[in-house]
Amino acid sequence: MAEEKSATLDMGVEVAGLRLPTPLIAASGTFGYGDEYREVADYECIGAISVKGLYLEPREGCPPPRIWETPSGMLNAIGLQEVGIRRFLAEKLPAVRELGKIVIANICGSSLEEYGELAKILDQAEGVSAIEVNISCPNVAEGGIEFGCDPDMAARATEVVRRGTRLPVIPKLSPSASDMAAVARRVAEAGADAVSLINTIPAMAVDVETRRPRLANVVGGLSGPAVRPIAVRMVWEVARGSRLPVIGMGGIANAEDALEFLLVGAAAVQIGTMNFVDPGVWRRTFDGLAAYCRRHEVAALRDLTGTMRSGTAG
Amino acid sequence: MTPSTEAAGPPAPSRADLPPRADQAATLVARNQLSPDAQLLRFESEGPLRVLPGQFAMVRVGGGGLLRRPYSYCDLLDDGAFTLLVKEVGVGTRALMNLPVGGEVSSLGPLGTTFDLPPPDLTPVIVAGGVGIAPFVLFCRRLAQSGRRGIVLLGGRRRPDLYLWDAFERFGMDVRVASEDGSAGHHGLVTALLDAALADAGRPFLYSCGPTGMLLRVAELATAAGVPHQVSIERRMGCGMGCCLGCVVWARPPSGGPEEYLRSCTEGPVFDAETIAWDRDPHPL
Repeated sequence: MAEEKSATLDMGVEVAGLRLPTPLIAASGTFGYGDEYREVADYECIGAISVKGLYLEPREGCPPPRIWETPSGMLNAIGLQEVGIRRFLAEKLPAVRELGKIVIANICGSSLEEYGELAKILDQAEGVSAIEVNISCPNVAEGGIEFGCDPDMAARATEVVRRGTRLPVIPKLSPSASDMAAVARRVAEAGADAVSLINTIPAMAVDVETRRPRLANVVGGLSGPAVRPIAVRMVWEVARGSRLPVIGMGGIANAEDALEFLLVGAAAVQIGTMNFVDPGVWRRTFDGLAAYCRRHEVAALRDLTGTMRSGTAG
Repeated sequence: MTPSTEAAGPPAPSRADLPPRADQAATLVARNQLSPDAQLLRFESEGPLRVLPGQFAMVRVGGGGLLRRPYSYCDLLDDGAFTLLVKEVGVGTRALMNLPVGGEVSSLGPLGTTFDLPPPDLTPVIVAGGVGIAPFVLFCRRLAQSGRRGIVLLGGRRRPDLYLWDAFERFGMDVRVASEDGSAGHHGLVTALLDAALADAGRPFLYSCGPTGMLLRVAELATAAGVPHQVSIERRMGCGMGCCLGCVVWARPPSGGPEEYLRSCTEGPVFDAETIAWDRDPHPL
């Protein structure tokens, strides 16, 4: 589906029971409700789309300023401005379904009950293939990161979603947890089918002239190439320390970046901040991955997962 | 396509009515140093480009930071070239201003909503401060092409900050200027020229772009006088495509309904001024 590549190269991957035509997934919060980039991104390179985080009700989000550029990265404190699950299903989902893409709904709750309710609603929705459970947003007062930092809370949120749906459940882990592999093991016991990581890293910046924080929320989440080495390490730890498939993300801008995540154990990867920078990231990354597979005589891209060798590169 | 000239007020913008968007390479072909810290840059894009007045591009240039930066299209020339007015404010603008002629950028556009031509019985009155004049060059070109005339009020700190004054005169506009240091025109703020301009226009339609303080004052006067007013809002932007939600303005949606955070890249940058809650976020940049 993705490309008329030679029959010998299979770019598809399977993760959390989803068969993706490419290993590249649009990261929640960077790709709107899925169709915003249709004029400028190569959708055939996209394996699935994780849509903007959803609550039961619409949320207005944080006041501006909400973003700030940092060296090779960006800070954001959007505060999950979103339209609410009902408007998503009625107005946004049909548009993205027309594009024929696999849709992953990303959900966030301010309580366990809200997570469960969202899971039940999505279970009945046509056109949603999986649920990514946001237990790691740094910019909301309740829910979000407080669920993701505590393995017990992460497990309870996962369990309540699991009970509400037959869809694959993918908790999105916070880099602020002290032991992410431990969180992954607990959410696995609670019924998760895979985990995705990392969400943004809590961070801040200050305008020294005015002595004011750059963001109205003071603290935001850091993303982009600046976080990539941290994210690669975390994906490696989680892949080694749990049996769950891992969807890796953190500043991926090209095939080499994506390959780092795959080699340390990711079964698929998400592209986030770089959508803002360059919508051509999809085509470039996809083509680069295909070229790498040919150069390394790999017939199926999925065979690369977890194949980092011991010893140093030298 | 063509902004409505029949409707009493501007129609709600619809994505379907806007020109197609593309991410294109564009080559810098000419640089005009307008003042010590501002340049007019002329680019040729690799493919066709259609732009409506008020729309903007997200430009990526080597050494200019990670994220793209938004620039209003200043003018669109007959051969498909476009110009950007750039004033140095940080790493992104600096990289663009140091780009050698022949250098390439990546330009994503055209993005956002547009200034509508005023109904035939109304006279356009444009109020612009500093680099806020940028979108009005193309707008005045379109006005002139439709045989329309208007009043253009330009403001800046000093005479060199009254960019492209002559361009507006070439389009047949009645140009009036103000400078804070008194080196050109009225000594003071450009908004001091507004009452007389509104009176001279008879039945005016206001357009504004510039510093927040200026926009606020124009909006107050427009509301008090019952004059329709479109404003182009400048906010820090991450993507320009409506996805990062970084550039929001608290305003009433064009489709009606209660106020919410609207994206200045998608529901804007051109808004009906009366839909904006100006007092909501006092430190918007």
